[in-house]
Amino acid sequence: MDRKLERILPLVQKPARYTGGELNSVIKNKDEVDIRFAFCFPDSYEIGMSHLGMKILYSAANAREDTWCERVFAPWDDMEEQMRKNGILLYALESGDPIKDFDILGFTLQYELCYTNVLNMLDLAGLPVKAKDRKALSPIVMGGGPCVCNPEPVAEFFDLFSLGEGEEVNSEIMDLYKEHKKRGSTKEEFLIDAAKIEGVYVPSLYDITYNPDGTVKAITPKNGAPEKVTKRIIKDLDNVFYPDNFVVPFIDVVHDRVTHEIFRGCIRGCRFCQAGFIYRPIREKSPDVINEQCKTLCKNTGYDEISLCSLSSSDYTGIEELLEKLLDWTEKEKVNIALPSLRVDNFSDSLVKKLTGVRRSGLTFAPEAGTQRMRDVINKNVTESELLETAGIAFSNGYSAVKLYFMLGLPTETPEDVEGIGILAKKVVDEFYMNPDRPKGKGVTVGISASSFVPKPFTPFQWEAQATPDELKEKQEHLKNTLPSKKINVSFHNIPTSFLEGVFARGDRRLSSVIEKAWQKGCKFDGWGDKFLYENWLESFRECSVSPEFYANRKRDYSEVLPWEHLDFGVSKAFLEKESRKSYNAETTPHCRVKCAGCSANKLNGGKCDV
Amino acid sequence: MYELRLYISKKGRIKFVSHLDMFRLMQRAVRRADIPLWYTEGFNPHPYISFLLALSLGVESEGEPVDIRIVGDMSPDEIKERLNKCMPEGLYVESAVKPYDKSGDIAFASYTVTYSKDDVSESELFNSLSSGVLTCEKSGKQGKKKVMKQVNVSENIKSFTLSGEGEDILLDVVLPAGSTFNLNPLQLSQAVSGYLGKEVVPVRMIRTALLTGDMTKFV
Repeated sequence: MDRKLERILPLVQKPARYTGGELNSVIKNKDEVDIRFAFCFPDSYEIGMSHLGMKILYSAANAREDTWCERVFAPWDDMEEQMRKNGILLYALESGDPIKDFDILGFTLQYELCYTNVLNMLDLAGLPVKAKDRKALSPIVMGGGPCVCNPEPVAEFFDLFSLGEGEEVNSEIMDLYKEHKKRGSTKEEFLIDAAKIEGVYVPSLYDITYNPDGTVKAITPKNGAPEKVTKRIIKDLDNVFYPDNFVVPFIDVVHDRVTHEIFRGCIRGCRFCQAGFIYRPIREKSPDVINEQCKTLCKNTGYDEISLCSLSSSDYTGIEELLEKLLDWTEKEKVNIALPSLRVDNFSDSLVKKLTGVRRSGLTFAPEAGTQRMRDVINKNVTESELLETAGIAFSNGYSAVKLYFMLGLPTETPEDVEGIGILAKKVVDEFYMNPDRPKGKGVTVGISASSFVPKPFTPFQWEAQATPDELKEKQEHLKNTLPSKKINVSFHNIPTSFLEGVFARGDRRLSSVIEKAWQKGCKFDGWGDKFLYENWLESFRECSVSPEFYANRKRDYSEVLPWEHLDFGVSKAFLEKESRKSYNAETTPHCRVKCAGCSANKLNGGKCDV
Repeated sequence: MYELRLYISKKGRIKFVSHLDMFRLMQRAVRRADIPLWYTEGFNPHPYISFLLALSLGVESEGEPVDIRIVGDMSPDEIKERLNKCMPEGLYVESAVKPYDKSGDIAFASYTVTYSKDDVSESELFNSLSSGVLTCEKSGKQGKKKVMKQVNVSENIKSFTLSGEGEDILLDVVLPAGSTFNLNPLQLSQAVSGYLGKEVVPVRMIRTALLTGDMTKFV
């Protein structure tokens, strides 16, 4: 270990974030590989180490003999201070080598509020933050993850984006890079070639022009880049690479367990939910494969908890079969199974009995809106009686704490819809006291978490105006003032944070200068309440003469050229428009198993969809 | 069922893993090694693993005693072998023996502390350690309140020797340890810093052994 580093580590919080050496971390001989890849997560170690995508792509890259993939996280501010003071450049955890000398830096963009961290990490690495100022072939800075469905606000900082699922396309990018490195190509030569790979978006190969009113006029590709870049998907989840090993962190991280995804995509089509659209089409993994992989992972990591994850776990067709297979060995080996993302309407008694086998915690459901009209607008096909019935099942099975997720600021929302949230929660409270089988000697707690709705690209609400900060404030007050019971506690999301998220979600390239300015003013870790510097952000918008309201609070016309018009995530614009029009009449669309809604995402999978 | 005492050395960068995190780490190692551990019989059963004495963050060790309870008759040698195949880098089971002393018998610990000659000279160290007036601040409790307490360091240094080695100075020192009162090399260095009026930070700290009240090795 570097002696300089060794002397500063005792001075920072949780030094084990920065040491590497965790079980199952991959060590290779750097002289025997062609590609040094840094997988960068632009948030703290605890957040990044909880991310399943990183575990998959880390192992997949290291499965290549010619590649050494290492992990990099955003250092916390105490560590950053020490690094800058002592001239330590941002290094990768496995080798301790500075990442500025690596071939490829791959950032995963999981949420909009991590953008300043990307800039800060590039700067800590000793690299210019703008792509055009990094002249050499290496390091290539690439981005992936859900935010790249509209990466325009950060387009100036990246060389390329990888759209969709990365297991296969990352490898193709690395093959091509290796060839160009051998040939001694320039960065431009490599990028022009990379743009020919399906799913690769090279922002510098597109010219954007604007109308006098500030909207996008045209997006024009050059140097042979495709008109539309289509996201990549994995066609067969049973046979795609899945790690048999996770790096096991020393310190307690947010999700410290075996995580296993059971299917990709979602059948539901809730109109506010970006994940529900951009991860389509639906592809399931078979229970046998999942069961075997879980067994191996538990054995190789020593974890005593498995979390089955997906967008809506109870929609997995093999859920009961899978649980039976898992419980067959997990009970004996004292392994706990967690099943997050359950839906209200198909939460069965037998499912909850299976889940309470080992350990018991609170239950969380997401009605998302307080009135049936509002739930119909957002196409959350859940009724009040279903929610109450489900709560009843949970109470009969010994649960006494329920958490309910709602959103404020949804399109067409009225004061009655806001009051409806409290009224619905009160009915859940009443359901508890009416239940003869409720846990004895315990009171009920119903927690409401009310977040602020942020319209996102590739959803039917992508044209909507986000409620302004003032409107949201009013709605929060109204909900608080109309709560009908003391058994209900309510928590809200920070409004400025949601506002900024809204700006970046549907922003364009002109926001790059704002992000850079805000970072220069010290903004970073914007997703962390205590680190969020709202004033500095507002100042940055003013100094760059960019109006955040233009992006967040403006209603778009269906005919407007959207900043992400040149990106294709499967679902067609015509389908999204149809869904948007239906929402105004509170008209619902049944889920994909009842009737195909014709979103056209199945074109990515040769017309196949696992419904 | 029988009780087994493991002595686990902790060397290198894993010294930055805290005492609290060590328990979880051991729990997982034991699972990977498939060792039949006895589980507590509570609402939330967990394997019985007990680190007898906390080791400060950043301090390495030649062998920390860890008590575990084994169900069945897997031999200590096999347990040691299995565990060593599953330990993270830097941790090694040096021995696995039947416990003799009780954890309450721990009274002292010996350390080897390395200082850099760039930071402090051997004579400066000798003078401060034999000055008789070394003190440091230690967090303690007054009733339920957390307070900083002034501790007399000098009277708690049981013994020390100094030796030079190239660019480094090695300090072998015995300090109080156990469930009632502890003094660690960082606090000692803090006291030295205070005495000399400059920052003296050790380059390396290793706990070499635990001792009982009569200065014999804890076993």
